[in-house]
Amino acid sequence: MYGFEALTFNIHGGYLEAIVRGYRSGLLTAADYNNLCQCETLDDIKMHLSATEYGPYLQNEPSPLHTTTIVEKCTLKLVDEYKHMLTQATEPLSTFLEYITYGHMIDNVVLIVTGTLHERDVQELLEKCHPLGMFDSIATLAVAQNMRELYRLVLVDTPLAPYFSECITSEDLDDMNIEIMRNTLYKAYLEDFYRFCQKLGGATAEIMCDLLAFEADRRAVNITINSIGTELTRDDRRKLYSNFGLLYPYGHEELAVCEDIDQVRGAMEKYPPYQSIFSKLSYGESQMLDKAFYEEEVKRLCLAFEQQFHYAVFFAYMRLREQEIRNLMWISECVAQNQKARVHDSVVFIF
Amino acid sequence: MQTSENGMESTNELSESDRHILNFLDSMDSYLILMDSLSSALRQGWLELASARHSMGASRVSSALFDLKSHNAPTTLQVNNAGPDVEFPHFTLCKWALSSDPEKRSEEAKFEEDEMLQNKSNSPRLQHPELQESKAEGGGSPVTIGNQAQKERLKSLSMFGALVSPKLRSTQLSFEKALEALVEISNVRASLLCAYDQVQKDLKNTT
Repeated sequence: MYGFEALTFNIHGGYLEAIVRGYRSGLLTAADYNNLCQCETLDDIKMHLSATEYGPYLQNEPSPLHTTTIVEKCTLKLVDEYKHMLTQATEPLSTFLEYITYGHMIDNVVLIVTGTLHERDVQELLEKCHPLGMFDSIATLAVAQNMRELYRLVLVDTPLAPYFSECITSEDLDDMNIEIMRNTLYKAYLEDFYRFCQKLGGATAEIMCDLLAFEADRRAVNITINSIGTELTRDDRRKLYSNFGLLYPYGHEELAVCEDIDQVRGAMEKYPPYQSIFSKLSYGESQMLDKAFYEEEVKRLCLAFEQQFHYAVFFAYMRLREQEIRNLMWISECVAQNQKARVHDSVVFIF
Repeated sequence: MQTSENGMESTNELSESDRHILNFLDSMDSYLILMDSLSSALRQGWLELASARHSMGASRVSSALFDLKSHNAPTTLQVNNAGPDVEFPHFTLCKWALSSDPEKRSEEAKFEEDEMLQNKSNSPRLQHPELQESKAEGGGSPVTIGNQAQKERLKSLSMFGALVSPKLRSTQLSFEKALEALVEISNVRASLLCAYDQVQKDLKNTT
């Protein structure tokens, strides 16, 4: 018991907590995944999914199916559920639910800006955007030449505006600047979300701060590994790490100077929660690191449902659905490429 | 005497035709092995691409991000056509725009190809300080070539972002290996067709 949430939570949040717990019971089980992993074609996958909650979204899709179609339709289901919850939510839950989509908004902004830099058609780029991250003036991003214009013309009226203060420059946009902008925005978003959850207090703060700290730590590791061998300097790398999390600040100091995966392992193994993740990998190997992190994340997200009267269940449900969609994407790709032996490389069971 | 001379001539002809048949069979064997290697490199590449998309997200690894601006091809193919001194055409892959001199480029390309394929592993390590130090002791050129090729590789991947997953880099190496196999297949096919022509000529001469 953190406070007296049990007395008042259900007044405004009771209905939606019941809804999200109902949605959670619709997540695919290990038995569903075993059936899907034995499919020979994408039409078999569609047939198996027709018996699940994805059925209505896939039933009208003509053959031959494509893996991107399956992912798109499954994502539509998630978007519909999210919109239903958002329209029913009151403050502060509605703001909390909006925070969950800012990551997708950042990804969409970067997609449009990068695609425009590569002289791609804006309509084509808009079709590739994640539906949870759409906003009204997103197409106008294509006219901006630098970050200052990006902010002034478009982003000043979006929820991402406060996150731009650290990355406004007049330099022309190029691949490295865009990457730094992406990670700087995401860092600012995570820190802002963290502060918001702390202000909410109670079980929400306790559980969400743990989940967001894990997210921040995972991002730090991914940024480190992805920047090995690139032009990103140690100082620039250090600036992209969030200012919270288990690794902050001493772990970040060690990660900033890592030059290979074994040094990253050395830095991370000092922290017991991450020691178990890295113990699953052999030395010099990083292919299974993503799966190990996803498994740990799923474990923490499932634990969020063990308590009542907090908002973390909404965040946990959205993330678990996204993991499920990733699983379906991977299974579909392995079936389409006739590589079923590799299907268990990246599938993370939720239940 | 004349009978033995005729016998020796026919023995030499038989040896020559056996040699042509053996050349043909050797070329066929190499061709089939290379086709198998190409198929396996492409399968590996496509799966690694799916893995990279799974890791980085579909919006970051997408055909919508391909760069449509004009730029020089980082890798080119040189064809030396058949002529009086050359039996069959020869194809050479010049990778990662290492130099403007075609001969020097092919040597650099071969060297770089051998180094990268040896070093390809599950590790995301792209810079090998120990290896570079030992090379630096021998001479500065291989280190510079390695760094230049690495820079060109990262530049071509930068359309997906400046910080890409090691899985996407593995994908690049797999497709690079497939491209090399394709060029090798072209060369082997050219020698295979030449050997086949020789065998056909020998058959016509004996009938």
